[in-house]
Amino acid sequence: MAVVRTKPIVMFLSLLASLIFMPQALAQGTVFAVVVNANNSVTNLSLLDLRKLFSGSKHSWPGGSPVKLIVRAPGCQERLALLRLLGMSEGEYRQYWTGQVVRGEADAEPLVVPSFGMAKEAVAAFPGGITLVEVTSIQPGMKVIRIDGHLPSDPRYPLH
Amino acid sequence: MRSRIKNCVLQLFVAPLVIAGLAAAQAPGPGAQENVELLTQQVKELQQQGQEMQDRIRQLEANQKSALSPVAIPTPAPTATTSVVPPETEPPRESPPPAAPSPELHILRGIQWRGFAEADYKVLDQRVPETGTYGFVPGSAGNFYTGDFDLFLTSRLTPKTSVLAEIDFQEGDAQSFKVDLRRLLLKYDFNDHFKFSFGRYQTNIGYYNWAFRSASWLQTTADRPLVMEFASDGGILPTQAVGISLTGSIPSGDLGLNYVAEYGSGDTIRPDINGDALLNDENNGNQINIALFVRPDHVPGLQIGASIYHDQISDLVFPAASSQTESAPESPSARWNQTIVNGHVVYVSRGIEFLNEGFLIRHALIGTSETFNTPAFYSQLSDKFGPIRPFIRFQYVNAAARNVIYDDVGLRYGPSFGARYDLNDYFAFKAQLDNTIRRGLPDLNDLHLQLAVTF
Repeated sequence: MAVVRTKPIVMFLSLLASLIFMPQALAQGTVFAVVVNANNSVTNLSLLDLRKLFSGSKHSWPGGSPVKLIVRAPGCQERLALLRLLGMSEGEYRQYWTGQVVRGEADAEPLVVPSFGMAKEAVAAFPGGITLVEVTSIQPGMKVIRIDGHLPSDPRYPLH
Repeated sequence: MRSRIKNCVLQLFVAPLVIAGLAAAQAPGPGAQENVELLTQQVKELQQQGQEMQDRIRQLEANQKSALSPVAIPTPAPTATTSVVPPETEPPRESPPPAAPSPELHILRGIQWRGFAEADYKVLDQRVPETGTYGFVPGSAGNFYTGDFDLFLTSRLTPKTSVLAEIDFQEGDAQSFKVDLRRLLLKYDFNDHFKFSFGRYQTNIGYYNWAFRSASWLQTTADRPLVMEFASDGGILPTQAVGISLTGSIPSGDLGLNYVAEYGSGDTIRPDINGDALLNDENNGNQINIALFVRPDHVPGLQIGASIYHDQISDLVFPAASSQTESAPESPSARWNQTIVNGHVVYVSRGIEFLNEGFLIRHALIGTSETFNTPAFYSQLSDKFGPIRPFIRFQYVNAAARNVIYDDVGLRYGPSFGARYDLNDYFAFKAQLDNTIRRGLPDLNDLHLQLAVTF
């Protein structure tokens, strides 16, 4: 009776699993900062408030100025982080925003920008601008706010 | 033999990795060394040229600014929060921070358009049209029709004011089309707690009207529940009015309490849904609708709410073929108090859609003790499996046999089954089977196929 050697099979399966799940694991490991306009007085948001902002349920900042959502195009890491934050797939996200506009809950869908540079410029240009950026891309002049009291450098920071 | 095959498989996966590793570890030969030096020299030259070009651009920009604007453009001051950048991040680039122009320039003026359309085929097991006309030809059991073609426009005028309009082209008899301005709202959003709008609105009686408006593409099912059908299509609720609407959130912590207050004038004209080709002109007075609903923070997707609506209406009936002015009396003699109470529990999250709404519609003839109560409800459950969303719905409407307001409605109830298939982000195909049990009439069965699109 031939003895089945399981070690090579286990190694092969491990290699396969790592190839499949590595991109997701890398994406999960990326930290995302919430950046707002430099003149925005807000310094801290709860994760719940952040969800409300990016889902269009909360339309104005405490001062009354309207929120301007700036999101990256589909396929970007920031976009995936946004979908994780809202618990939606790309299709659900699009359908959700179509509904928000048709209901009159929002006058337009979030501004979609294809690059980090444009996101940075848009946040600087719109007084109520808010966006997600990879923490490694942060530059001087960008205002990063705390989430649940934590900065992106904090291990307890929730946006990974 | 078995072990040899295993070895071959292992070699097949391991060999490319080994070869790649060896290739990476190889040192360049003498010929390659010259190429590397040449490339290094070229890179240095390109870097030098790039630096010169950047200096030149900065100089030109500085000259242009000083020539065009004597006033210094403010730059956003770096905030203390930028110190959160971890030490391993890339060094800050030396490009100047973007200038901050006037907020007025940030408003994207113009009109944003969105369209919704549908193409339908519906076949009944009877030859009498039901629920509005929708292009049905009496005597034919199955018909194609285009339903609603909806153009939706929004335009932001100032940071807090905007205009919203919805124009609907609806198929009528003999493939004629009528235009309906379903919504025209001049909106002022002061903050999340106070939003004011003025114009023609769709009443916020219940959840369905708010959630789906006139867009078939947004709906899971091919049609609306009978109680939520638009009045112009035979629905029994007053769905349109002209007036003012206030909405907003009420500070309530995790409860997520919201309010809606509407006051306006409606003039509902609804066709009989039993195919007798009569129209009912309700000549509504001024209506008031108050709604409260909660969206608890700890259960995302859950909404529980209630509303109460009051109006005074008439019940004038005239043939659909003639114009209203020819047939209807000029002043109605009988007026009815109409009160509509709604309660809803809705859960829409994680692919699940569970809609439950109940209504009690009360009509009381003014000056008498004559009253009619019409209960109605629907319950709809669906779940998403990839692009397919199967659904089941049960609906119920019970108008008393003596009810002169809803004499065409009677008792109707029954289930609907079907599925929605999202072909892509724009097209959705729906197939739906309905079984309706009717008082005093044979059961009605139908198949409804729909291709809905947004653009």
